[in-house]
Amino acid sequence: MASPMELSCWGGDWGLPSVHAECLVVMAYARFSGAPVKVKIIDHCWRAPRGRVPLLISDDTVISQPAKILNFLRKQKYNADYDLSAKEGADTLAYISLLEEKLHPALIHTFWIEADNYYRVTKPCFASRIPFPLNWFLPRNMAGEALNRILLTKGGPPLFSMAEVEAQIYRDAKECLNLLSHRLGTSPFFFGNMPTTLDAFVFGFLAPLFKIPFPKVQLQDHLKMLPNLCRFCDDILSCYFRLKLLGVSPVGPDTVDANLQKLTQLVNKESNLIEKMDDNLRKSPQHPPRKLTTLKLSRTGEGNSSPNRLSP
Amino acid sequence: MSLVAEAFVTQIAAAEPWPENAALYQPLRDEQILLSDNAACLAVQAFLQMCNLPFQVVSRPNAEYMSPSGKVPFIHVGNQVVSELGPIVQFVKAKGHSLSDGLDEVQKAEMKAYMELVNNMLLTAELYLQWCDDTTVQEITYPRYGCPYPWPLNHVLAYQKQWEIRRKMKALGWGNKSVDQVLEDVDQCCQALSQRLGTQLYFFNKRPTELDALVFGHIFTILTTQLISDELSEKVKNYSNLIAFCRRIEQHYFEGLNRDGSARLPPPIRRKILRS
Repeated sequence: MASPMELSCWGGDWGLPSVHAECLVVMAYARFSGAPVKVKIIDHCWRAPRGRVPLLISDDTVISQPAKILNFLRKQKYNADYDLSAKEGADTLAYISLLEEKLHPALIHTFWIEADNYYRVTKPCFASRIPFPLNWFLPRNMAGEALNRILLTKGGPPLFSMAEVEAQIYRDAKECLNLLSHRLGTSPFFFGNMPTTLDAFVFGFLAPLFKIPFPKVQLQDHLKMLPNLCRFCDDILSCYFRLKLLGVSPVGPDTVDANLQKLTQLVNKESNLIEKMDDNLRKSPQHPPRKLTTLKLSRTGEGNSSPNRLSP
Repeated sequence: MSLVAEAFVTQIAAAEPWPENAALYQPLRDEQILLSDNAACLAVQAFLQMCNLPFQVVSRPNAEYMSPSGKVPFIHVGNQVVSELGPIVQFVKAKGHSLSDGLDEVQKAEMKAYMELVNNMLLTAELYLQWCDDTTVQEITYPRYGCPYPWPLNHVLAYQKQWEIRRKMKALGWGNKSVDQVLEDVDQCCQALSQRLGTQLYFFNKRPTELDALVFGHIFTILTTQLISDELSEKVKNYSNLIAFCRRIEQHYFEGLNRDGSARLPPPIRRKILRS
């Protein structure tokens, strides 16, 4: 890939590389797969594209929507799912649907519809990145779009009032968080030791909920009660986005960044190997079943084809 | 429904056993029902069959307007009315019948995820094809949807429904997708289901769950429904284990029930595809 790929994203705050869930998904995937994407943060410039962000520009192709961008990156040989089996690929698709159907509506609601959150956090945060007269209209437009989406997809009989719709959305989202927490168990990522597409999606949807200090926090409180999901977000932030946290300008992966990434991947592979050797050791009969419980959990997490493999 | 109301309903539901005269309401099967509604009705029928609960199928032209959520099918049990697969599964569970009790937490998460995959991709694709593809709308959807009503009303109602679905598609970002892209999505979804199923009898090995009922409803309907072109069913036919899976559930849960009319499948001409 000779020409650089440029990714337009909303900027970050509160220790996040971006405050926008879908931008985070793409940024995380780019980090996981090692794609040399130049991240361009939307600023006060009039010409910055704001409509369908995240937006990937490579040569003369312009791609919007996270799923399509990820497909494009995969075609450029930046594939984070290379080691997954066919069944794990199917699982990825299924869990992404789960996130879209159950968690995304609640995320949209928390950002754009909950009045307290919108006026105290979301609107100032997005308006500060938009030039003068537009900052009066664009956030309102985005909120209108969000409300429209929620009402059309989740409203309708038998839910007649907004309060009922809200209750339903948050109940679904909490259930989804619980399911994800069960699925993750104690393993570092959803499919073992290397991050994949699914991790990018989960991270993108959870990190804003986890980090942004909203005044109304019902979903946040629930997320904080699931320590493994919180740990998951923190790990990705510290391993894959650390330089940004230290205040280096988020213009893109410079050389240090790329080196760090390679190093992390190497370390990950190494730990993968060690884990496998460990596994073999543990399976040998003379070894006391010291870590059997955690091991079992992560095993069932990786696929339930052989849930009883480790039981004595 | 508020939490209190829901808890109340659950309690009532638990108090009474499943009656003999439960009824499942759906639109007229031969002349009215649409692809997506048929899939939903078949999924609920399969689910109740798998739970081994007796019920009668009642066809009504206004089933959609009788349903509390405006969606078919709905069941009438004792003095309660519940619509759509999700709530029906909850309701039946409150009565002490469940297909997914044997699963552990991770498997339950997986089952929910795959059910959302079917709803998110297959159901949306079916709705897209029957309400947003202009030839299908003109030749199949309008005549079928409006068939029980007299002249101006049939157009008005069909148009209203189409407007509603198109707005929903736009909100979901499916508004400017092409038919080819939608079929591509269907293919991707079927591939995922096929890979997840593998060579197992059901999605979670030997015992069927609500996921099996849902997948059966959709795949069987797609395979046996005649649309303008065969593109949709061709996509599904590439996956032989899904076809075998549908045949298995059909034989196990629906064979022999056709005569007394308690559970009815499409007429034999359309079912040839499954046999061949």
